[in-house]
Parts: sequence; C-alpha cells; structure tokens
Amino acid sequence: MLDTPSPHTPIAVGDGAAIPHKSDAGLFTAWRIAFFGSIVLCLFLAFGRPDQYMAIFMFIPDGILVTFKVTLGAILLAIVFGLIAGLGRISSNRLINGAASLYVEVIRGIPLLVQLFYIYYALGRFVKIPDILSAIIAMAFCYGAYMAEIFRAGIQSIPKGQMEAALSLGMSRGQAMRQVILPQAFKVVLPPIGNEFIALLKDSSLVSILAVADLLRRGREYASETFNYFETYTVIALIYLIMTLFFSKLISIMEERLNEGR
Amino acid sequence: MKVFRTLTSLVLVFAAMTSSAFAAPKSIKVATDATWPPMEMVDANKQIVGYDIDFLNAVAKEAGVKVEFKNTAWDGIFAGLDSGQYDAIISSVTITEARKAKYDFSDAYTSIGQILVVPKTDKTSKTIADLKGKKVGSQIGTTGAMEVKKVAGVESKTYDEIGLAFEDMAAGRISGVVCDEPVAAHFALQKKEYKEKFKIVGKAFTKEGYGIVVKKGNQELVALLNKGIKAVKAKKLDTKIHTKWVK
Repeated sequence: MLDTPSPHTPIAVGDGAAIPHKSDAGLFTAWRIAFFGSIVLCLFLAFGRPDQYMAIFMFIPDGILVTFKVTLGAILLAIVFGLIAGLGRISSNRLINGAASLYVEVIRGIPLLVQLFYIYYALGRFVKIPDILSAIIAMAFCYGAYMAEIFRAGIQSIPKGQMEAALSLGMSRGQAMRQVILPQAFKVVLPPIGNEFIALLKDSSLVSILAVADLLRRGREYASETFNYFETYTVIALIYLIMTLFFSKLISIMEERLNEGR
Repeated sequence: MKVFRTLTSLVLVFAAMTSSAFAAPKSIKVATDATWPPMEMVDANKQIVGYDIDFLNAVAKEAGVKVEFKNTAWDGIFAGLDSGQYDAIISSVTITEARKAKYDFSDAYTSIGQILVVPKTDKTSKTIADLKGKKVGSQIGTTGAMEVKKVAGVESKTYDEIGLAFEDMAAGRISGVVCDEPVAAHFALQKKEYKEKFKIVGKAFTKEGYGIVVKKGNQELVALLNKGIKAVKAKKLDTKIHTKWVK
C-alpha cells in the first residue's frame, strides 16, 4: 500500500489491489476501466444496436430485482446463521460446539449447486413456502457455514485480555461478549463479510436452476426463444460485472472508513 | 525420406477421410435432451431411449446412415447446432415459424399438442386462463412455455427440466404444468408418485408437428432425413414405434 516502492517494500497481495487507493489519483485504474467501460458498453449496445439489444434490456429488469432480493436476503440470513454457528464453534459446551462444527463441516463439504437442489426440494416435501424464500434459505444455509468460520476467526482475533478485563469488571460472559468482544470483532469481520457478499451475489445466479426468475434465468428465457445466445449472455455478464464492481467499491470505501476510526 | 513418406501417407489418409465426409454423411451426430419421457429419456442402463430415438434409428436405417446420439441440455441445444457440435436435433422439437427462421427442419414426423396438468385437488380449472394469479410451470424455451406466457395474469415459471416442474407442483409451489401430451401422460398417468396427485384437464389446445432440426442451409441432410421419414411412414414403422412408447 506504500506509494513509493522501495527495495524493502514487501509485495502486497490481496483482492484490494485492483481497487484504487484513496491517494491514487490516476484516471485509468483497472476498476474505473472495468466499471465505466461496461456501463458505456451497455449504453452503446442498447442505443447503438437497439434491434438486437434493446429487447434484452427490456426483458431482464425484474430479474435484476430478484437477484438483489435473493442476495440481500441470503446474506442477512447467513450472517445470523454464521453468528450462531460461529459462537457455537468457540463454545466450551461440548454439545453446542459439536453441533456447530458438524454443521460447518457438512455444509462446506457439499457443492453449493447440490445443496441448492437438495434443500429446495427437501423443503418442498415438508413445508409449503414460496420459491424465492426457499432459494434464500438454501443459499443462506450454505453461506452461513463460511460465515461461521469468519465470525470464529474474528472473535478469536480479539486479545484474551479483553474478555478477562470485562469479566474482572463484574460482567457476565454473555454481557462481555455482547458489549466488549463482538463490537470489536465486527470491525475485523466486516471486510471478509463484504467479500462473501460479492461471492454470494455471483453465486446467486445458481438459483436460476431452481426456476427462480433471477437475472440469469430471465436471460436464459430470452435466449431460448430468440436464439440470440451470444447477445444475451454478453448483456448478462456486463450487468453482473457492473453490480459486483459497484459493491466491491462500496465495501472498500466502508473498510477505509472503519480503518480511519481505529 | 521416411519423414516424407509418413507425411504423404498422413495427407492421403486425411484426404480420404475428408472426401468421405463431403460425400453423403455416413454418420451423423444428433443431440437430444433425454429428460422428456417417453419421447426421449435415459433408462436404467444409462442408455438414451424413447420414441424419438427409435424413430430416428429407423429413419437412419432407411436413409443408409449411422446415428450417434448426444445427450444435451435443452437450454442451449440450438446453440450447439449453431456451433457445429452436432449435425441435427431430435428432441420433440415443434416446428414453429420463429425456429424455422433460424434453422431448417425435416418434414413433420408426428403431431401432438400442449396440454395442462393440475393437482387433483383443483376441481375447477380447465384451461391456463383459469389459473389467473397463480404460477404455471413449463420447460424453458418450449412451446409450452410460450403458451403460458401468452395468457395474461398467469405467472410463468420455467424449469430446466420438465421433471423439476412436476416435482415443484407436488411440493405445492406451482398450480399447473403445461407440456406436450405424451409427456403429460407419462408424468400424470403412469408415474406412480404422481398418479395419485395429478390429473390432465381438457384436451390438447395446440396442434403442433415435431421435426428434426438441422443447421440452416444443410439441404443435403434435410433431403436425406425426409427420404428416410417417407420410407418409415410408408412401411408404417412409425405407428409401431408410437404404440411401443405412447400408450
């Protein structure tokens, strides 16, 4: 992150490398080229080649909305699952610890696509819930396991002395966790949760396999009737790209704000 | 010299192979989406079987070519034809004007119609229009899906495979499924998990003909297939295959 590289500067590796640093005033950063490039390309396709592309842009907006709904719903629910399982993973109660560890191990060992099918159709056997909600639950169940590990690592990264100090002040363990440890851990886990959010946004395209009318599904429906596969997938890819770039920027700004407060 | 000889023999072999390929195709690769019973499906021995398979084998025999089937997902099956991954598609493809604009078809080899399947608990619905405000499922990119979309007020839900639509109806997430008559009969009348739950309502409400799809401009293959279809129909082999698969 140093602006003047010296022979002693270690190479910084991370996915933030492509996102411009605040002090980086250059106009042509990879992020800007990709983000504004894809917006310009979308506009060009929509208005420059309206007979091929305009119809695609008209067909998919409700799909974008569903993609957002699924992503947002799944990430919120996954945070809840993850927090519970993450706390379970560091619990000294053997039963709780075992159950949380089992959940994480089992879920992380099954491909997301298989889980989606499984949970979606398994839920259908027992309870009657709408398709989007089933898809959200299936996604959240999977991502919750990854979130659990993030929370566990985040909580464990807070020095032990913090808990000891809180306990010696007369707080109960639960109180100490809520008022001392978690607020600090939250700052640590926010960046990885942001990354999970981006990953989830992309993986949400998998719910199209469950006949949920998300962005990819709408695109496939359009392509399957017009046979314009190339044009349709070009648009779909561009829209996903714009969304993920937008959110990765948002998250990096959020991260910076948090670091300033430190 | 040896290198030279190997090279020339290679060139000769290659020339022989391509010249035979340019003459009438000896073997054609045909794509089918084997998730559409009883027209095309994968049996317990992992073999692709069904009405279309038997029919095309009969046609190929009459036309003097060999057929190699390739199981391909329906969504994108036309794109594979564009990119030359196979020579033809036989997959219960209805001949429509939109499809004819982009691809060439053989003569129609059988006629069917779209039909509605609903849960047995639904005592009133007879047509798609009766399901206003509800969700109706079909396979993506099929004529069934197009029929559902035509009816205003009905929410269309498209599946990758028709079996998933029936499973979703069993779970109560959708109120109806539209598909080809023989497929509806297979799922609603023969499959034992669904026999108790579903029923077919009304009569087929479209009249469609299945055709074999080839790349636009491949007149040679169309002529060959039509020759075979004529011979199969003349010998009444198609009625035999029909009674075997469609009861």
